[in-house]
Amino acid sequence: MNLSDLVFIVTALITVTAAVGVVGFKNIVHSALSLVLSFLGVAALYFQLQAGFLGLVQILVYAGAVSVLIIFAIMLVMDKDPDESNRSHAKQKYWGGLIALLVTLGLGAAIGSTIWPQSSGSLPEDSVGALATLLLGDYVVAFEVAALLLLVAVVGAIILAKGAGEHD
Amino acid sequence: MQISMLAPEIEIALLGLLLLVLGLLLPHKGRGIMGTVTFLGLVIALLLSAAGFGQEEALFNGVYQADSYGSFFKLLFILAGLLVVLSGSAYIQRLGRRANEFYSFLVFALLGMVVMAAAGELITLYIGLELMTISFYILTAYLLNNELSVEAGLKYLILGAISSAVLLFGISLVYAVSGTTVISEIAGHMQFQPAMVAGIILMIAGFAFKLSLVPFHMWAPDIYQGAPIPVTAFLAVGSKAAAFAAFVRVFMLALPLPQFEWGLVLAVLAACTIILGNLVALVQTDIKRLLAYSSIAQAGYILVGMVAGNEYGLKGVLFYAMLYVFSNLGAFAVATAVEVETGSTSIEAFKALGKRSPMLAAIMTVCLLSLAGIPPLAGFVGKFYLFSGAIGAGYLWLAFVGLLMSMVSVYYYLMVAKAMYIGTNDDMTPIKPDTSTRVALWICLAATVLIGVYPAPLSALAQTAIQLF
Amino acid sequence: MESLFLDIAQTLTGWLQSLGLSAVWADFILLIIQFACVAGIVTINVIILIWLERKVSGFIQLRLGPNRLGPWGAFQTIADAIKLLTKEDIIPTRTDKWIFRTAPLFFITVAMMLYLVIPMGDGMQIVDLNIGVFYFISLASLSTIALLMAGWSSNNKWSLLGAMRSVAQMISYEIPLTFSLLGVIMIAGSLRLSDIVAAQSNIWFIVFQPVAFITYFIAATAELNRGPFDMPEAEQELTAGAYTEYTGMRWALFFLAEYTNLVAVSAMASTMFLGGWQGPWLPSWLWIIIKTYIIMFVFMWIKWTFPRIRMDHLMSFSWKVLLPVSLANIVVTGVGIYVFKWMGWC
Repeated sequence: MNLSDLVFIVTALITVTAAVGVVGFKNIVHSALSLVLSFLGVAALYFQLQAGFLGLVQILVYAGAVSVLIIFAIMLVMDKDPDESNRSHAKQKYWGGLIALLVTLGLGAAIGSTIWPQSSGSLPEDSVGALATLLLGDYVVAFEVAALLLLVAVVGAIILAKGAGEHD
Repeated sequence: MQISMLAPEIEIALLGLLLLVLGLLLPHKGRGIMGTVTFLGLVIALLLSAAGFGQEEALFNGVYQADSYGSFFKLLFILAGLLVVLSGSAYIQRLGRRANEFYSFLVFALLGMVVMAAAGELITLYIGLELMTISFYILTAYLLNNELSVEAGLKYLILGAISSAVLLFGISLVYAVSGTTVISEIAGHMQFQPAMVAGIILMIAGFAFKLSLVPFHMWAPDIYQGAPIPVTAFLAVGSKAAAFAAFVRVFMLALPLPQFEWGLVLAVLAACTIILGNLVALVQTDIKRLLAYSSIAQAGYILVGMVAGNEYGLKGVLFYAMLYVFSNLGAFAVATAVEVETGSTSIEAFKALGKRSPMLAAIMTVCLLSLAGIPPLAGFVGKFYLFSGAIGAGYLWLAFVGLLMSMVSVYYYLMVAKAMYIGTNDDMTPIKPDTSTRVALWICLAATVLIGVYPAPLSALAQTAIQLF
Repeated sequence: MESLFLDIAQTLTGWLQSLGLSAVWADFILLIIQFACVAGIVTINVIILIWLERKVSGFIQLRLGPNRLGPWGAFQTIADAIKLLTKEDIIPTRTDKWIFRTAPLFFITVAMMLYLVIPMGDGMQIVDLNIGVFYFISLASLSTIALLMAGWSSNNKWSLLGAMRSVAQMISYEIPLTFSLLGVIMIAGSLRLSDIVAAQSNIWFIVFQPVAFITYFIAATAELNRGPFDMPEAEQELTAGAYTEYTGMRWALFFLAEYTNLVAVSAMASTMFLGGWQGPWLPSWLWIIIKTYIIMFVFMWIKWTFPRIRMDHLMSFSWKVLLPVSLANIVVTGVGIYVFKWMGWC
C-alpha cells in the first residue's frame, strides 16, 4: 500500500461514515452538516483523481450552496424538538439497513470481481479547456438542456411555493 | 453538421421560453391566447419534425441523432402534446394565474421527451429524462389546494429521484466497463464483466420505474389519480413513450441481444406487468385509476414487442406507441370533459353519459375498445404486430399471456361502457365540451378508426424508423 | 529587495536539502512554513487593521479613536488581544456543543485557505493552480456553513436570525460576485491567477471592466457582512448576530477570520482588476500590499459613511440590480472580445 492508497482509504472512510451519519443522526441539522462533510469527502476524491475542476464544482455547488439551502429550509420549517427531528421507525431502520447491506454486498461483489479496462490516454495539459470544448462542442445539447432544466426547476419552485395561498 | 437538424428541438425550447415571458408581459385579459400560442408553436414543431423525417445523421460525433427513429417519436410526442393542449384548455383555464406557466411546463416536458428519443449518448439521454420528469413533478403538484395532487407530486419526486439515481448508477457502471457513453459505440467495447451485468440490471430497473413495469409500478396509480387530468394524460402517453424510445435505443444498439441475453428478464417483467395491471384494473372505481392500471398493462404489451427484438416486434413497439397516443388520449379527453363538467372522475360520474352526451360516450367506447384490442380498431393491429413478433422470437407463452389478459381487459373497459349506456344519473343535463376539446376528440376517434382499418401508412412509417436496428 | 522572499525560500530549501532531505520532503516542509507564515502575517496584520479601522472610523466621525496606549493608540489592539486570550471560555449549557466548538475553527480554516492561490508578488504564490479564481470562489462559498453552524448551535434567537440573514445575503451576493469575475476571466482567457496578472502588464483590467469592478466591490462588501450590508450582526437589533453567544478566544477567531476574509477579498480585487503585483520602482510584494491596503481603506470608508440597508432592499438589490448588471456585463464583454478580434486589435 502506497501513500496514494492510504489517502484514498482515509477520504473514502470519512465520506462513507459521513453519509451513514446523514441517515443515522437523530437531529436533522446534524444530518445536514454530516451531508456537507460527505460532499467535501467526495470533492477530495475528485482531487485525488486529478479532476480539480470537478472537485471545486462539488465544493461550490454541493457543499457551498445545495447543503446551505437544505439547512436553511430545515431551519425555516422545523417546529419540534431538534433531537427528535430525524427519527426513523424501528421497522424501517432494519429493512432499510438490510436492503442497503444487500445492495452494497451485491454491487461490491460485482465491482470487486471485475477486471477493469485501463485507460491508456494521459490527462490533457489544460483539462479545464478540454472540458469546456467538450461541454460546448459535442455535449452542447445536454448543456443547453441542463440550463433549461434549471430554469424549469426555479420557476416551478417559485410557483409551488407562492401559489399555495391562491385559490384555484 | 448542420444546426438546422436541431430545428424542432430549438423551436420547442424557444416556444417554452416565449410562453414564460408572455405570461409575465401580457395583461390579465390577454392571457387567453396562451393556449393558442402553444397550439400554433406545437404545429410548427410538428411540421419541422415531419420535414426532418427520413434524415439519417449523427450529430456531434454520435452524441445526438437526427434519424427517422427519433423523428418518429418526435412526431408522436408533439401530437400527444397538441392533443393534450386541445383537450385540456378548458381545464387549464381554471388554474387562474398559474395557467400560463402550466403551458410552458408542458412544452418543456415535451422538449425533455424529444431529447430522450433523439439522444445518441447516455448523459444527454439522462438530462432529457430529468427535464421531462422535473417538469412533471411540478405539473403533478399543480393543484396546490388539493391534497391528493400535492401528495402525488411529493411521491413522484421521491420515487422519481430514486429511480433516476438507480439509472444513473447503472449508466456509470456501463461507462466504467466500456469506456464510452455513446450508445452506438458501447457494443463495440462490450465486455462480459460482472460490473457490466450489474450496470445493465440497474439500468433495466431504472427504466422499469419510468415505464411503471411490475414490480416498479407502485407509484403510477396514486400519481395518475392525484395529478391534474391533462397532466395524467400526458404522463401516461408521452412519458411512457419517451422512456420506451430511450429504452429500445439503448438496449437494441448498445447491448445487442446476441451479445447479451436480456430478453428473458424483460419477458418475465412484461408478463408480470400485463397480468397484474389487468387484474387490478378490474376492481377500480375511479376512471383515472382504471386508466392508470390499464396503462401499466399497455406498457407490458409494448414491452412484449421489445422482448421479441425482431422486425415485427420493434415495428409493433412504434406502431402501438403511436396508436396508444390517440386511443388513450381520446379516453382521457372524455374524462377531462366530464371532470370539467361534474368535478368528479369516479365511474359514477360517467353514468348515463350516453344520454347526456352521445358523442362523448361513443368516443370513449371506441377508444377503450381499441385499447382492449378489438378489431377493426387500431389496437388490434398493434397487438397483432406485437404478439406475432413474440411468437416469431419463440416467446409463445408470452403471446399467450398477452392474448388471455387482453380478453380480461375487455371486461373492465366494458364496465365503463355499461355505466355510460345502461346506468342512470340524477343529473341529466347535457354535457357540451368546448370546440377545442371536440376537435381533439374527433382527431382521436378518426385516428383510432383509420389506423385500424388502413394501417399501411403508419406501418410504413414505423418500418422506416426501425431501419436503424 | 525584489527577490527578498524568494531568496529566503531558496536558502531554506537549500539548507533543508543539505540536511539530507529529499526534494519532495523539502518542498513539503517549505509548504508548511509558507502556510505558517501566512497565518502569522494575517494574524499580526489583523491587529494593525483593527487599529486602522478604529482610527478611520474616528476620523470620519470627527473623533480621535484609540489614543492612550502607545503612539496614536497603536498598542490598544494588542492589549485587546491579550484580554481576549486570557478571557474565560464560556459555552452556554443548552448549546449544540460539538457544532458550537467547530464553527469558529471551520470559519478560520476556510479563510486561511483562500491565501493558497493569491499571488503575493512576482513568483510568490504558494500554489499556482490552473483554476485559481475558481478555487477562490468555491472556498469562499464554504464560509456560509460556518456562520450557519454558529447561529444554529448557539440556541439563541438572535444568533439564528443573524445566521439566516447572513446566509441569505451571502448566497445571493455570491452570484454577482462570481459573474463579475467572469468578465476578467473572459478577457484574460485563463482561470490561472498568474496568467491574469501577466495579462495586465500593459493595462489594468479595471479599464476594460469598470462595471465588473463596481459589481465585485459591492458584492464583496455583502459577502464580508460589512457595512452598509452588515444586517447579520446589526448590533442594535441582533446584539452580535451569529456571534452573540461566543466569548474569548472563540469569538476572537471569528473576528480574525472576518478580517482575514477582508484582506483576501481586497487582495483578489487588486489581482483581478488593478494589475496585481505589477508596478514600477517598488518591489512586487510591496505593490500588492499597497494596492490591497488602498482597497481595504475604501471598504472602511464605505462602512463608516453609509447607513445600514434594510434586509428586503438588500436582497432585491442583489437579484434585481446587481445580477442583471453583471449578466449584461458578461454579454457586453463577449461581444467586445469578438469585436476586438474582428478588428484585429488583439
